[in-house]
Amino acid sequence: MTAGSGGAAAIVDVLALIGAGDRDALKKLYDSTSAKLFGVILRILIDRGEAEDVLQEVYITVWRKAAEFDASRASPITWLATIARNRAIDRLRARGSRPTTTLDLAADVVEPSPGADTLIDSANDARRVGAALDRLDPRHAAIIRSAYYEGLTYETLAEREGVPVGTLKSWVRRGLIRMRGEFAA
Amino acid sequence: MSETMPPIDERDDDAMLAMDFALGALDGPAFRAAELRLRRDPAFAADVKRWQDELGPLSAAIVPVAAPVGAWTRIEGELFRGPIAVVAPSSMASRALTLWRGLALGASAVAALALVLLIGRPGTPAATAPSALLAASMTTTDAAKTILITATYDAARGTVVLLPAAKDASRGLTPELWIIVGQDKPRSLGLIDLRDPQAHVVPAALRGKLAGGATLAISLEPAGGSPTGTPTGPVVATGTLATI
Repeated sequence: MTAGSGGAAAIVDVLALIGAGDRDALKKLYDSTSAKLFGVILRILIDRGEAEDVLQEVYITVWRKAAEFDASRASPITWLATIARNRAIDRLRARGSRPTTTLDLAADVVEPSPGADTLIDSANDARRVGAALDRLDPRHAAIIRSAYYEGLTYETLAEREGVPVGTLKSWVRRGLIRMRGEFAA
Repeated sequence: MSETMPPIDERDDDAMLAMDFALGALDGPAFRAAELRLRRDPAFAADVKRWQDELGPLSAAIVPVAAPVGAWTRIEGELFRGPIAVVAPSSMASRALTLWRGLALGASAVAALALVLLIGRPGTPAATAPSALLAASMTTTDAAKTILITATYDAARGTVVLLPAAKDASRGLTPELWIIVGQDKPRSLGLIDLRDPQAHVVPAALRGKLAGGATLAISLEPAGGSPTGTPTGPVVATGTLATI
């Protein structure tokens, strides 16, 4: 997405056109969002071939479901990224295992700077979530990020951290509840 | 995002499940069970959505990666190639379905309709010669052998056109289409729908298996499809492909 295309509001308009069956609009959406969604999917699946399969599924789903998108109830980027994440996680779970190079990829996630990514609805939202995570125990925050970015199960994360699954679940859940508490404050 | 935030309790299993699902930390069976529930339980869906909205901004930190060259062409090809495109859900499709059901057409008539839909439009390229079409009437596996769905395979496009001929038999499960050649183990052609007519794209690697004499089968699987790669649920319909 380039700054000139107007970010989230423009995507809402494009989704409305896609919902009405406008093929050019789908291409437009693909051009402005595919790199972002491919990034989301690739982080979960690592394998480029599989990630491309899932990327295709995502835009086919978007074509079919765009009419159901309700801008008053969801942000367009969250909607798209959620479809991408769920498809990728589905594929990951079906595979049953994944390449074990995930830890090295931590560097691929960067904290957003103001204006760095006009695809998100508000850079403030992103920084707010980041800041809330940063106020948690660093280890717990890192686990939450791993779960979200890599689509890892509690079992895998617990194994990686060398703690019982119950302990790990509790860290993550309490962390997220605290994070929500900060939003409400 | 912050007004009306209800209290959340770690002992509330449903609230935790919604959080776990939105985070993406559930294992395969639990993830699929939650996906299924999402469609049936609005309160649960609302809980999940709230977490998705709250966690969503984390995606902003993911570095974009240019999609592979050719990915768009393949998407476009799957969606828009040929006269029966996999179109956005339209009232036309459901009207057509009602009509088909209302006429209580036999399998051959349904297959003929599929043929008309596939090749009957003006300007259709010669590549879609009828000789490239295979069809199977897929009947229930019980003694009644009711026709559940008609499958027509168009090799030129690599798509199976599925026309439901009976009421939805998926019982809330996810129907999955399989191809069986001789004694080989079933290979999945993907998840399908028993309610609406659809053009289903066959994975390129499996297109060669769709030939006269091969068997198509539909099993009912958990949301997301068979977790094992072979049918795990009841087989509700089978049919043999033959040239039409």
